[in-house]
Amino acid sequence: MRKVAIVGTGLTKWGVRGATYKELVQEAGKDLFDDVPNLDKPEVDSLFVGSALVDRLAFQAYPAPIVAEQLGLKPSRMAMRTEMACVSGQSAIRVAYASIVSGLSDVAVVVGAEKMNLPSMAEVQSSMACVLDREWDGVNGLNAPPYFALVAQRHMHEYGTTEEQMAEVSVKNHDHAATNPYAHFPKRVTKEKVLGSTRIAPPLKLLDCSGITDGAAAVLMTHGDAAKRFTDTPVFIEGLGQAQSGSLVVNLESLTTWLPLKRAAADAFKMAGVTVHDMDLAETHDCFTISEIMEYEDLGLCGKGEGGTYVTEGQSRIGGELPTNLRGGLLGCGHPLGATGVAQAIEVTRQFRAQVPQERYVGGDWGLCHNLSGNANNHAVMVLHRGG
Amino acid sequence: MGEPQETHFAFDFVPLQSPDQTRIFPFYENLKKGRLTTTRCKGCGATHWQPRVVCPDCNGDEMDWVDLPANGKLFAFTAVYAGAPLGMERDVPFVVAVVELDGAPMKVVARIDDAKYEDLKIGDPVRLKVHELADGRVWFRFVPT
Ligand SMILES: [Zn+2]
Repeated sequence: MRKVAIVGTGLTKWGVRGATYKELVQEAGKDLFDDVPNLDKPEVDSLFVGSALVDRLAFQAYPAPIVAEQLGLKPSRMAMRTEMACVSGQSAIRVAYASIVSGLSDVAVVVGAEKMNLPSMAEVQSSMACVLDREWDGVNGLNAPPYFALVAQRHMHEYGTTEEQMAEVSVKNHDHAATNPYAHFPKRVTKEKVLGSTRIAPPLKLLDCSGITDGAAAVLMTHGDAAKRFTDTPVFIEGLGQAQSGSLVVNLESLTTWLPLKRAAADAFKMAGVTVHDMDLAETHDCFTISEIMEYEDLGLCGKGEGGTYVTEGQSRIGGELPTNLRGGLLGCGHPLGATGVAQAIEVTRQFRAQVPQERYVGGDWGLCHNLSGNANNHAVMVLHRGG
Repeated sequence: MGEPQETHFAFDFVPLQSPDQTRIFPFYENLKKGRLTTTRCKGCGATHWQPRVVCPDCNGDEMDWVDLPANGKLFAFTAVYAGAPLGMERDVPFVVAVVELDGAPMKVVARIDDAKYEDLKIGDPVRLKVHELADGRVWFRFVPT
């Protein structure tokens, strides 16, 4: 079977940007093409675009041809948008992987992009709320923060997790983001500041939540034989898994154990022939502080209910068992939905290539990317390995 | 779910309820009479939430309407203080919960009216309340008992 590698990366500054969807795409493309000087654009035969809410937030359907034109590409084999809400980014990488492995594609550009900040926040929130089943969940005012608040309340009720433990996730990821000039929130915060931040949906406060962020990210992917033409350090995708269960909140198998994450991770590790304990670093989907705590547990890094202790012990910090969310995570970088999964893969790639600031450099050989969507009913996991 | 001045259906959260829009219109007609109902498959007996027109278990498409309990308990709850969608911005803070229905293996998500977040705890009893919109549509909420 063909091996598939990420061979180039491109990012924009993330934040509340005075830039349109198309302009963000151009910026990410420039950063990517600058990173792969040996690429002739006509070699790019395929394009995969991860954008979740472009129809609503940029009032633009059918983004793949638009992205292609913005980037100066004329894909001759495969072109499509992958829409899986917050998993749109890793889904685009996953589909590119499948297309390259099958031989349908040889050289693919993957773009994740989202323009989320509009003059009306209520309009943005309405578009976010219809990521849930609009008729039976969103209609009740349920949206990402209140949904994850229900999860946090149950986790606290069942396992004794505390708001202080959740705050530690935010403190850690902001510490990491402070080293990341691309981040929306590149500033350290104290535990007291997290605990005292504006109430959003109790027990979640503002600094327990990832931001509404504009941004884009892009990678170049190709097969193993071609990888060295573009870089000395290709990063190989060795394992992938994706699992889904349920749609309506009340039809999920569990609020406090993410069974689809366990299934996706088991598949990805089996395919790669490694375990979570072989990972040198991880990017996990910390859309809310409680999410990262549950991810430690459901990835098998600690026992169920011990995620809060895992973070307060420093196990997910640099020097701990598994440094997690080194770019700053969604809490520190913000969460432009479709861009997040691509940016997670970029962090692992840049870590392996020693292209990150020294303060957060971990490097290593094995990295994990985890992306989740909606009410955590879909999880995607990728295991990356440093080549070269 | 306030009552928008003008209805822009692209941002209207409340389902369209009339027979010319949906085949589960009996759900809304029953709700107007104070009954929370759902469908049970005549073929295999499975009860589903939400109401269905085709059974995902046996592929049958003949359904009975059955009553669900009007009483339940809070399984989980929060309150929306910020970031409410259009039509709900003026309602904040409002409580939203997962309600475990009494005597039925079923939960529903609903707003809890006449309640403050601080006054509630997991397990508190609630009962059904029919919320009427100005345009004649209805939705279900719960209130503490
Ligand atoms: Zn059936």
